[in-house]
Order: sequence, then C-alpha cells, then structure tokens
Amino acid sequence: MNAIECDALTRHFGKVRAVDRLTLQVPSGSVFALLGSNGAGKTTLLKLILNLLRPSSGQARVLGGNSANLRADTFQRIGYVAEDLIQPDWMELPAFLRYYRSLYRSWDPTLESHLRAKFALPEGVAVRRFSRGMRMKAILLTTLCFRPELLILDEPFSGLDPQVRDDLIEGILELMTASSPCTVVISSHDIAEIERMADWVGILANGRIVVAEPLTELQGRFRRIEVVGPEVRQRIPNPTPAEWVRTEATTPNLVQFIHTRFGDRTESELRSIFLGDRIQSSPLSLREIFLATSKLSPSVNGLPT
Amino acid sequence: MLPFRIDFHSGEPVYEQVIYAAKKAILSGALAPGDRFPSVRSLSQELKINPNTAHKVVAALTTEGLLAVHPGVGTVVASGVSGSAEERAQVLVQDTERLVVEASRLGLSEEQLLNAVRKHWRKLNPSP
Repeated sequence: MNAIECDALTRHFGKVRAVDRLTLQVPSGSVFALLGSNGAGKTTLLKLILNLLRPSSGQARVLGGNSANLRADTFQRIGYVAEDLIQPDWMELPAFLRYYRSLYRSWDPTLESHLRAKFALPEGVAVRRFSRGMRMKAILLTTLCFRPELLILDEPFSGLDPQVRDDLIEGILELMTASSPCTVVISSHDIAEIERMADWVGILANGRIVVAEPLTELQGRFRRIEVVGPEVRQRIPNPTPAEWVRTEATTPNLVQFIHTRFGDRTESELRSIFLGDRIQSSPLSLREIFLATSKLSPSVNGLPT
Repeated sequence: MLPFRIDFHSGEPVYEQVIYAAKKAILSGALAPGDRFPSVRSLSQELKINPNTAHKVVAALTTEGLLAVHPGVGTVVASGVSGSAEERAQVLVQDTERLVVEASRLGLSEEQLLNAVRKHWRKLNPSP
C-alpha cells in the first residue's frame, strides 16, 4: 500500500518546470526523507500533494484519492507542517489549542497533555509572539494531536537549536510508535538528523526524482572505493563505468571513486580491473550519498531532458 | 536513560550501530542476565531512531537468543549469555577491521601492527 503515488506529475511556473513528469511512490508507514538542493522542487511537490497547488499535468494520489479532489474529510487525516502556515496566532496557547481541538474529530487529549508537558510552551502569550522554536513546537502540537495518517513536514528544523530539534523529533517519533503508525514525509537540509529517523529516501533534482528507495539499500549500494598501487592511475578504464562517480586520481598511486551499484560481484570485478592493487571499500553517510547523486543527474537547470 | 551509549557515526546503517552497542553491553556484562532491556518505544525516543528500526533491533537480538521476552514483564537479557570468549571477540570484529585497514593504509606490516597492539596491551595490563 502506498500513502502517496505521483504519476507524471508536472507543474509549470511560467516557463520553469518546478516539478517535471515526476513519478514517485511513498509506502504507507514509512518515514520518507525528501532531499534536494534549494530550488529542486521539494516545496512545490509537497504543495501539489496537498492540493495547495494544481498540477499542470499528471496527477498525485493521496491516501487513495486524487489530490485535486481532496476534501475536508481527507484533511482530517493529513497533517501539514510548514513555515508559512496561516494560523490564528493572535490567540494564547490554551485558546489556540481549543480552536484546533474543535476542528479534528480524532484529537487525542492524552497525547496533547503529554506533548504540552514535553514542549513546555508559555500559556499566557500570544502565539505570534513566540520565538521561532516555540512557534514550530506549537504548529507541531496542533498537527500531532489529531494523530494524522499522513504527516507532511516541509523543512521543520531549519534555524532551530539542537534542543528544540530533539523535542520535535521525539514528538514525531511518538506518533510513529502508535498502534496505527502514520506515514511521514519530511523535507530537510539537516541530513544527519533525518538519517536516523528515515527508512526511505527520495532525492529530487530539477523537479525529478533521482533516487527513491529504502535507506538501507541506498547505503548498501553506494560505497567509497580506494585503490592503492604503483601507477594505478593508468588502469582506470576509459570511459569510466557509468556506475562510478567522482573518479579522482590525486596521486599516480591512488584512485578514489564512489561506486553507485556496489553488490556481491563488485569486489571481484574491481579486482580484475586493478590486478594486484589494494582495494578498500567503505560506507558513505547519507550526506555524502546525496552529494554524489548530484553527479548522476545529467539534466541542466531549466532545460528539458 | 539507556543502559548503553551510542555515538552515531554517519555512513553505517543505524540498525547495525544499535545492534553493535547492545551486544557490547550484553556480552561485556554491563547488562546482566535478567536485566530489563529498553522497550522499542524508549529506544526510539532516547536514540531518536525510527521505531521500525528499534523493533528490528529487539527482534534480531531475541532471535539470536540474547534477549528473552517475558509476557507481562517485558524484554530481558536472556540467561546464560555472558558469552563465550569467541562471542565476546565477535563484538570487536568491526574495531579490528578498522584497525587492520588503517594499519595497511599506513603501510605497516602484520608484525608491526601486532607489536603496537602488544605494547598498548602491556601499558594497560602491566605484569606484576
């Protein structure tokens, strides 16, 4: 079962294709990390999924229905956290929460009091006077407490201190530990933070998905290779295999590259290329994998491929 | 608080890092047979990891016989897992590999590496 399915989803802004014939499946119950550099199309994609933007062509299906037909009853099951949300922020916290409590049938008062204690937000101050961190906590509070089936978070951690970040992450994980776990889609630049939370990773570049797979598979197939041997530089195949990226020979005796399809047979394949040389492979962090994938997408910004 | 510490490093799957830390705690005796093992929920909350991952960790350690599930009590360290010398050595496999890789990268011979290890061993365990 997929919580989200995008099929050739496209959105133009003038001549720019912010999201370009994008196809994607987000499995139910996953924590899906959406990575991409600024301008890759992450926010546009999330807004298309939520029907905050209309697709130019193609479609997205969300919790079984077409996103363009999302109705109030489906929004009872979807949580959205972003910085530019419009909220009744002139209210103080108790009234603010009363307002949201009245909107959602599935509001969980036990979770509310638990998270209120954890987040320790001031009660007698208008929400719009909150600091950035307090404000994000308040937004998350109004979203987690109705236990959405699908939670979409657009850059929830940017500009927050580590303590606030930890509180938010614990809140999100709280929802995941429930008996009916929800699907979480989270876009973020804090790759190290979400590496621990996510079990699926999608990488977006120029409005298209470059990678979408389970994190463990991704970590298995991307490995840094180092080959040491006399004049090893001479043995680099020409052209270099398509699955090697960032191939470098900083000295004649050292060749380094990132193998993007590392598997059972890779070591013996490499040994037959680099006869007699010393070959070492080591894992990559998600951050390094993300940077390596930017070399995989041959498309040039603004030009259709 | 968890009965073991993890300094997460990027690159290795989170699952393997948690398994490794838990095994180290059990086989070194920091967690004794009968001691409560943290629940999926507290593993997830304390380590900020996906509960699916925490669940997989507990399931794998149970399958390996290191943990036992007692209905009504929770998950505890199984009896008789103080570990054979071989099992305890198994915990060091990753550290050993890293050491050997670094040594060969520096161009040390096997003998030179063993000498360095011996020297360090004697520093920490001075003979009477």
